[in-house]
Amino acid sequence: MTSNNWLRKNTFHHSKFKDIGKLVKKKEQKKISVSLCLPTLNEEKTIGKQIVIMKSELMARYPLLDEIVVVDSGSTDNTCEVAADYGANVHAANDILPKLPVFKGKGENLWKALYVAKGDIIIYLDADITNIHHRFAYALLGPLLMYDHVKYVKAFYDRPLAGEDARIRPTGGGRVTELVIRPVFSLFYPELTQILQPLSGEYAAFRDILETIPFPIGYGIETSMILDIYDKWGMDVIAQVDLDKRVHRNQDTKALGKMAFVIMKTFLKRIENYGLVEIRQKVYNELIQYQKVPGRYQQEPFCIEGHERPPIIDMPEYRQKFNIPDDYHR
Amino acid sequence: MDDILKKLPFFVDQVQAIKETVISNIVLIGQVPGPTFDEDARADIFLERLACAAVDECGKDQLKNAIGIIKGKDGKNHDPIFLTAHLDTIYSGEDVEHNYIVRKNAITGPGILDNTVSIGILASLPLIFRHLEISFASDIVLAGVTQSIGRGNLRGIRHLLNTWSRPIRSAIIMEGQVLGHFNYYSEGIIRGEISCDILATRHFFTEKFKPNAILVLNELINELLGINLPQRPRCRIIIGKITGGHKHGEIPVQARLGFEIQSDSDEMVKQVYEKIEDLVEGVGHEHSVALKLETITVQNAAALKYGHPLVKYTVAIMKSLGLKPVSESSESELSVFLSRNIPAVTLGITTGKNAHLANATMRINPMFVGIAQIIGLLLAIDKGLCDDK
Repeated sequence: MTSNNWLRKNTFHHSKFKDIGKLVKKKEQKKISVSLCLPTLNEEKTIGKQIVIMKSELMARYPLLDEIVVVDSGSTDNTCEVAADYGANVHAANDILPKLPVFKGKGENLWKALYVAKGDIIIYLDADITNIHHRFAYALLGPLLMYDHVKYVKAFYDRPLAGEDARIRPTGGGRVTELVIRPVFSLFYPELTQILQPLSGEYAAFRDILETIPFPIGYGIETSMILDIYDKWGMDVIAQVDLDKRVHRNQDTKALGKMAFVIMKTFLKRIENYGLVEIRQKVYNELIQYQKVPGRYQQEPFCIEGHERPPIIDMPEYRQKFNIPDDYHR
Repeated sequence: MDDILKKLPFFVDQVQAIKETVISNIVLIGQVPGPTFDEDARADIFLERLACAAVDECGKDQLKNAIGIIKGKDGKNHDPIFLTAHLDTIYSGEDVEHNYIVRKNAITGPGILDNTVSIGILASLPLIFRHLEISFASDIVLAGVTQSIGRGNLRGIRHLLNTWSRPIRSAIIMEGQVLGHFNYYSEGIIRGEISCDILATRHFFTEKFKPNAILVLNELINELLGINLPQRPRCRIIIGKITGGHKHGEIPVQARLGFEIQSDSDEMVKQVYEKIEDLVEGVGHEHSVALKLETITVQNAAALKYGHPLVKYTVAIMKSLGLKPVSESSESELSVFLSRNIPAVTLGITTGKNAHLANATMRINPMFVGIAQIIGLLLAIDKGLCDDK
């Protein structure tokens, strides 16, 4: 069994950082700027609330955030309009670095957010959190500001599910974590099992970490980010914060299957790249699911190419924008 | 007064400029369920918001009423002004997800119009006053009161005023909707429930001719409709709720009837209630069933005169903001203030729809006018313009 020293040392409760004034002071001492980035795709029901609360509590009341950036994958509802109306800097993902081939996915939005955001620290929050509270941002920021060794912070929480009937189901959630990611971490990286919710969509990191790792364009981003950061800098730069409860939309099993497929693919690719395993046959890009239709079972293939963006610091446009010399050393 | 009226459009614009603060408070408080008798968690977050805004004194009383006091410049020589809104809603967190949706000009969520918007504004007022650089001579008491609606029967505000030791200058009660409505009088009300329980007195399953609980209540309704009600003082009985039975083909053994007696005169309400007591006893006896009458709410008739300065200035402020004042009787904290001879008015804050459904929706822009009228009236009261000399 792996030691849980890291768990004891680098795990915090959000209440530890509730003195926001203290965080602001630390931020000012360190002369650090902070960007909050929200990747969106049809989030009009939650985005307004998220921006309003963050702006009111962490910009107007306490100058902890310097900007709120929304990177949108092409919403067909009023997500962008609502976000802009409440004061976020809204960008269409396709308009950022437009010369690159177009991809669509959460990881793509997060990667491109690095180009448009100005902060030294980037906080990423999923935009579908229904019980949003400003602790989601300040608690992720807390360890980065208060502990010099911490460079990357993940959230964990209770995960009740909100169903269509507007009732809360008190248990559940995190199924892909427990059925996919925890078993494979246990097989190859027991130390990483101490990260209680590796797939949580809420995390914050210093730019100089994020700019030097590749970003899968879709669901695999959380897995790859942990593995790459662990591989490059070790466990000690990672911390996790308990945010108590996060209510999110429930997803059906088929949707979770797609998520699990992408995560498995990302994981296999990483462990092969790190030389931990050798895969001697072709790894396919298609998840095959089945649906019962009258008289037969119908195949529903779902193709995932598994594209990845390179470390953004490798992009000349990025280096130019942030005045990074071309002969930088990662 | 002209000074205040002139500033009202400025107040509207300035409050709109910090709309995130107000909306944020509405959402953060509204997402914490506050069903009647279980408002503690909501009271806590309301107080936390007041404390974050550096309100001078914040605390809860025995009934969990949440109170913040903004100290006035000359509070010793001026009685305090109360601003109240009820904290409780009809929704529990177990039944309904308290997830608010903020759109461009609307907020949707359970209880938003009754009365979360008012509580959110109450929590925002300290910051709004600071933003507008407004201060008061009187202490301003911001009270989120508990156990107000339904079976709560205004218990929170009664307790608060029973235990408040100082005289109170005036009170403004905030209700989510409707902007343009204001109340300065309340009717005498008794709200009651009559339950019919066949099983309580009879061996139902062995009887050949089984009594039907719904039909017994139907007999009672016919009797209630036969009560002679005077034109003056005005009086009416509203039969507002009826429940009973389980299946289409099964004789119901239990049924309930909800009613309300409303009148300008407390005495008339009392007389009609006594008649209903007699009728309940008579119908129960005739059908040999247990009919039980229970009082849910009692509210005394009380009113300010239309010529009272508080009413006069309320109307002037509303008109100046382009509102057409509509007044009607209010069933709210108003009656408790008025019955203690404390001048008080209830003001609607905004407009919306589905007020008592889980998808209640308030419009955001009218709210800024609603807030401006509160600020204008507070200033008028503070300057002594609304004192009845």
